[in-house]
Amino acid sequence: MFIRFHDLKADIALACVLTAILASNMASAAQSTASSQNALIPPLMLPYGAGWSGGGGRGNGSEVPPEDFLPADFLNGPEHIEAALIRGVPPDKIRAYLQTRIAGQYIPPASGLGPISDDPKHPYFSNSSQRAGVGKGSTVRVAGLEDAAAKNLKPWALEALKKQNELALAGKNTQPRMARCWEVGIPAFDEIRHPLYIIQTPEEIVMYAGKYVRHIYMNVPHSKNLQPSWYGESVGHYEGDTLVVDTVGQNDKTLVDMYRTPHTEQIQVVERFRVINSGKGLETSFTVTDPGAFHKPWSARRPRYVVTDYPLAEQDRICAPGNEDIFNTGLEPMQKATMPDF
Amino acid sequence: MWAGGLFIALALGINSVALSAEQVATQGRAPAMPEVVTDLSGTYWATEYHAKLQPLGGGEPPLNEAGKAAYEMNRAGLRDKSLDDPVRTYCLPDGIPRLLSTPYPFQLYQLPPGQVTFVHELNNQVRVVPLNVELPTDEQILVAPTYEGYTTGHYEGGVLVIRGKGFNDQTFLDSSGLPHSDKLETTERVRRIGNQLEDIVTIHDPEYYSKDWQVRFVYERRPGLRLQEYVCGEPHRDISHIKGIREIREQRAKGLFP
Repeated sequence: MFIRFHDLKADIALACVLTAILASNMASAAQSTASSQNALIPPLMLPYGAGWSGGGGRGNGSEVPPEDFLPADFLNGPEHIEAALIRGVPPDKIRAYLQTRIAGQYIPPASGLGPISDDPKHPYFSNSSQRAGVGKGSTVRVAGLEDAAAKNLKPWALEALKKQNELALAGKNTQPRMARCWEVGIPAFDEIRHPLYIIQTPEEIVMYAGKYVRHIYMNVPHSKNLQPSWYGESVGHYEGDTLVVDTVGQNDKTLVDMYRTPHTEQIQVVERFRVINSGKGLETSFTVTDPGAFHKPWSARRPRYVVTDYPLAEQDRICAPGNEDIFNTGLEPMQKATMPDF
Repeated sequence: MWAGGLFIALALGINSVALSAEQVATQGRAPAMPEVVTDLSGTYWATEYHAKLQPLGGGEPPLNEAGKAAYEMNRAGLRDKSLDDPVRTYCLPDGIPRLLSTPYPFQLYQLPPGQVTFVHELNNQVRVVPLNVELPTDEQILVAPTYEGYTTGHYEGGVLVIRGKGFNDQTFLDSSGLPHSDKLETTERVRRIGNQLEDIVTIHDPEYYSKDWQVRFVYERRPGLRLQEYVCGEPHRDISHIKGIREIREQRAKGLFP
């Protein structure tokens, strides 16, 4: 159930204003370049009402990526598929996108080692895309264990994925931890399908998406003697028009992707955020180094694009309600406190 | 129109786009007086905590008969654990005014343009207050009430005024179980007083209260303090120095309910 609080005309007006603002932000950032030592500050922060979509837009189906994001970076949330069908995109073309396995998740880098992807025998299609007649396959994620990304896993990590594949194919433990309301860590934060919102100040950048929040401290070194935590410590700086974020100090309770690829406390993630497409796109990429879980560093991309019509009612940052394991499929427990501590 | 308001809000809220008064006027809704936006931004932390809301001016919350009955029911349920407090157990949004009672630090950003953002350590709550938008209509709220409610903010002579409505009835007003209905409407007046942030909230809920009443919250500015992670069921930052916390923990340890 979903409610739209605004109409198309206003959407268009908003989009116009947004474009003007982005252009203006860029211009003022460019002006400040001349007067300060700082390079161009990328306008990652969008005004109220706009966010960086991760491909999740429930209900309205209007959140289709802009044409110039197609086909390479098509983020096919199930609604996109339905919306594209309605828009008259031939199913063959949609199927071709889907074959590239960009299912609202990481995209391989242009070159070099990439992320874990689907087992070719069990390609993932959401319920919704199957309903729409596009693709047939697994509705749970089964990791491919034969490709270079899998061969890059240390034996224990490969074993963990094997076990998870068996569970998933038996219909058990089919949900990513994000769906069980666990904190996600880095880089899984980048995989969140909710719009990403950014508060950008010279000292600190706050990013929030769905119910998840992270803090990035600018132009400071990492703290000494970090205790492992869910998001570790992120420090950032600008390199030209790119925000570069370095994260260390994470615990080993999070998983790096929706296949449940594990990592260790040694994980270091370097992310790069850059505004592209005249302000319409956010290029996000990252490199994971973790000698405890991977033989060599690997990289992935996760592009986002501006969305201005994400329904407010769906921004209630909740996860737990209605999330019980009612079908008894061995889902992980949700994080829960037994007694209030105040 | 919700989005109409949004559009104007955006235009008014943007620092980087200088709109002239004429331009604003041509969009049909010139502000009555120029807005004075004072700098409220910073990291803040309360110095005391009360499980039960303390009405401004003293006394008890003005519960009406239905309110008294609901409060008794809530307290009995919380005491014998037949009633859950999911805001604490599952770390759901507290809603207003309960979030204002937080004994954990929070950040206030007058950013992004067109928005004020409260980033709380408690439950990692991010409270987005759009500026100068129209609140959704009662019919719209009826379909989609939320834990966090819908809010709109504007500045009145340096005071940030936040109106909120559209809260669902799944939360309490405070940790003692004070009830509210989905008719709850709140008005907050947020201002800086020296090194402190003051938030006076007016609670309007005719279903459970015989008249509107107010609660005052004060927070100390804490420059340089970093927010920490807050995960349900895990140990959190030490807040034992916050006045009132020790007492409430002792009570809970004895099985007593606040």
